[in-house]
Amino acid sequence: MNTIRQNLPRIDALFPYVGTVLLILGGSYFFPQILGIEYLAQQLQIAAFLGVLALGATIVILLGHIDLSVPWVLGGAAIISTSLAGSGDPAFIVAAIPMALLFGALVGVINGVGVAILRIPSMVWTLAVNSMLLGVAVLNTGGFNPKGEASVTMTWLATGNLAGFPVAFLVWMTVTGIMALILKRSAFGRYLSAIGYNEKATFLSGVSTPSVIFAAFAIAGLCSALGGIMLAGYANQAYQSMGDPFLLPTIAAVVIGGTSILGGRGSLIGTVGGVLFITLLTSILSVMQISDAWRNIIFGVIIISMLLLQTLRRKGN
Amino acid sequence: MSRPEHPIVRLRGVSKVYGATRALSDVDFACFGGEIHAVLGENGAGKSTLMKLVAGVIQPTSGDIEVDSVAMRLKGPADAMARGLVCMFQELSLVPDLSVRENLMLGAVGTGLGRLNTGVVRRAQDILAQIDGGAIGMKTRVADLSLAEQQQVEIAKALTRDPKLLILDEATSALNASVVEKVFQLIRAERDRGVGVLFISHRFHEIESLADRISIFRNGTHVDTFDNGACSYGQIISKMVGQRIDDLFPPKPAPDPHAQEVLRLDGFGWADTLKDVSIVLRKGQITGLGGLDGQGQGSVLQGLFGLLRGTEGRCLVGGTPVAINHPKHAKNPKLGIALVPEDRKTEGLILDQSIAQNLELAALGTDGINASDPAIYRPFLDALELKCDSLDQPVSQLSGGNQQKVALTKWLALGPRCMLLADPTRGIDVKTKTQIYALLRRLAESGVAILLVSTDYEELIHLCDETHVFYQGRIVRHLTGEDVTAEAIIAASLNIPASAQTAQSTHA
Repeated sequence: MNTIRQNLPRIDALFPYVGTVLLILGGSYFFPQILGIEYLAQQLQIAAFLGVLALGATIVILLGHIDLSVPWVLGGAAIISTSLAGSGDPAFIVAAIPMALLFGALVGVINGVGVAILRIPSMVWTLAVNSMLLGVAVLNTGGFNPKGEASVTMTWLATGNLAGFPVAFLVWMTVTGIMALILKRSAFGRYLSAIGYNEKATFLSGVSTPSVIFAAFAIAGLCSALGGIMLAGYANQAYQSMGDPFLLPTIAAVVIGGTSILGGRGSLIGTVGGVLFITLLTSILSVMQISDAWRNIIFGVIIISMLLLQTLRRKGN
Repeated sequence: MSRPEHPIVRLRGVSKVYGATRALSDVDFACFGGEIHAVLGENGAGKSTLMKLVAGVIQPTSGDIEVDSVAMRLKGPADAMARGLVCMFQELSLVPDLSVRENLMLGAVGTGLGRLNTGVVRRAQDILAQIDGGAIGMKTRVADLSLAEQQQVEIAKALTRDPKLLILDEATSALNASVVEKVFQLIRAERDRGVGVLFISHRFHEIESLADRISIFRNGTHVDTFDNGACSYGQIISKMVGQRIDDLFPPKPAPDPHAQEVLRLDGFGWADTLKDVSIVLRKGQITGLGGLDGQGQGSVLQGLFGLLRGTEGRCLVGGTPVAINHPKHAKNPKLGIALVPEDRKTEGLILDQSIAQNLELAALGTDGINASDPAIYRPFLDALELKCDSLDQPVSQLSGGNQQKVALTKWLALGPRCMLLADPTRGIDVKTKTQIYALLRRLAESGVAILLVSTDYEELIHLCDETHVFYQGRIVRHLTGEDVTAEAIIAASLNIPASAQTAQSTHA
């Protein structure tokens, strides 16, 4: 042994890609237009919104926690960015995106404090934070859709094209690349899965585990906020509950990508596959005019099957 | 002692194969009622496999198991238990989130489908009272008990099952000498009632004092069975390892009381657990901390590693007063303190991660060390002869002894000035023990100060240069040189004054 190998992508991460290819081939049998460049490019653009959110969720789930505040961090970031951008003041317009990201990171740190310092289970704490953010948003807007509009940059991020690719997709890939690099190269990345497996042993190895947890939740908050900014750019507005339909697919994408819901094991590359799979599945189901009720049932079944598979394999080992 | 004609359990030509490894091959073995039968062997010799077969946890690949002279297939632990074969495993089998009471009733005879047999709890309390466990609250969650208390509950639980054959697999590994002696009295009483006892332990003196017969296993084969006393210490060891190990412990160099001071604790205290503890660790010295379990020895290590809040007293490293309040601070090269915790499976290692990932966890982020370079671990892994397929193998696949080697190496690579070790050889086979002892002595010679908490007083006698004995959070005796004897350590552990102790030993 001359090198220490890290986090080799496991077979799990390949599953969603195989699933995606099968979906495209199977779908194209009924709807040949699926194989068209235009359709696929549109899917990549739509996948990017979910994709950015799922990157943050992967980090937190690797840690052995969960972030249920995604919907209203997304919604909050959308409201902040559109309000600032719609104010007409040039300084505010420039500040729209940074302020929304700052908001996301801040909520992430609050999540981290609850989990790492107050030791409250993340499932409860982040759910409560989500609920409080909802309340603050309603108080601010009176329950109506907030006024404001997306800035040019926001619209470009969501709907622009660069060198033939949707900008949203390029943003997603860039963030994926940066995070993959952080996970692979930095001590932070290794601490992350070590904590996911065994927080006590990691702490006793002289690791400042609370800082790692803060950072992980802050990254997740940043990702949720970025997703909100992009979605607001896509819709050219923020609206109440715009994040709600994203929570379950976000977690589904991470789980389908082979990341263990118990923490420790997983990869970003798998999550990217999971996002592609879910986006295509949703799209094909709607092309087939299958009702939302069925779509929800199918999502639920997929998540449960993946978890069962993980459990069975753990027993096999 | 007259032996019953028929054994309780007899194995005939039993083999057990896991994939490519033969855990047991063609073993004939019998254990009788009214007899304490010790099984000795290195880790991987097949002892645990043998126990699991008899307890019905696993089935043999080939061969027969006879219970009361009838060949049968034990379908599972419940089946074995119904036939009076009760096993207490090395891996504790209590449910951590249930109370002691609930654990005792779990699966007890006469319990099930809404019926609870509360008589079990009363009997268990009686038993616990006899083995110094009377203070364990029945409503306490098992997870809140110390390892030693959990073992006491486990012993009580096993004894309430009315065993015909009681199987004890490292049942006393976390208990200190005086509790062990009380457990032994109980076991002897069971034997005198006609119960058969199968006993695995790595502590020779325990086997010497307890066993009627001894069986030796090596590499999955049954080497020999003989009456206790028929073979000398050296003969037993050579049967176990297949080669002679002359000395379990490395030779001790002459102590140097003026060696450079590495770390000094002055009037160290913490809440009600520690009072006025003063210890000096010197370069090249191995300092032992002995005493009954939970007398504060462990808290000294935790305090030095920055795990305790609100400690009193002074701590000096290299003559400079320091406040250590986080493991990250303790491992900083300026202090250079390393802790190998007591429970390697949950505290020392991350079992699901690879050897390499475990090794680098402590070194990551430390200035001047390239944690990803396997070369910095190699010398220690070689010295300890780590057995593994590759460094990418998950630590969970290693034997207990090899896991401990990883837990040690992870810290040694940092080049610590002071190593804190909490019972590093608990439940580890003899060969690994000798490797660890030799390494600790070599480290000491290279200038590292070592602080060792041990429940095995042979380690305190033969390995340590000096020993502090704890009682109720205070140091009651400081033993050096010729004074470090088994009698002195046990007497001090029970807080018997030195004078009374000498009077007692002249009577004996």
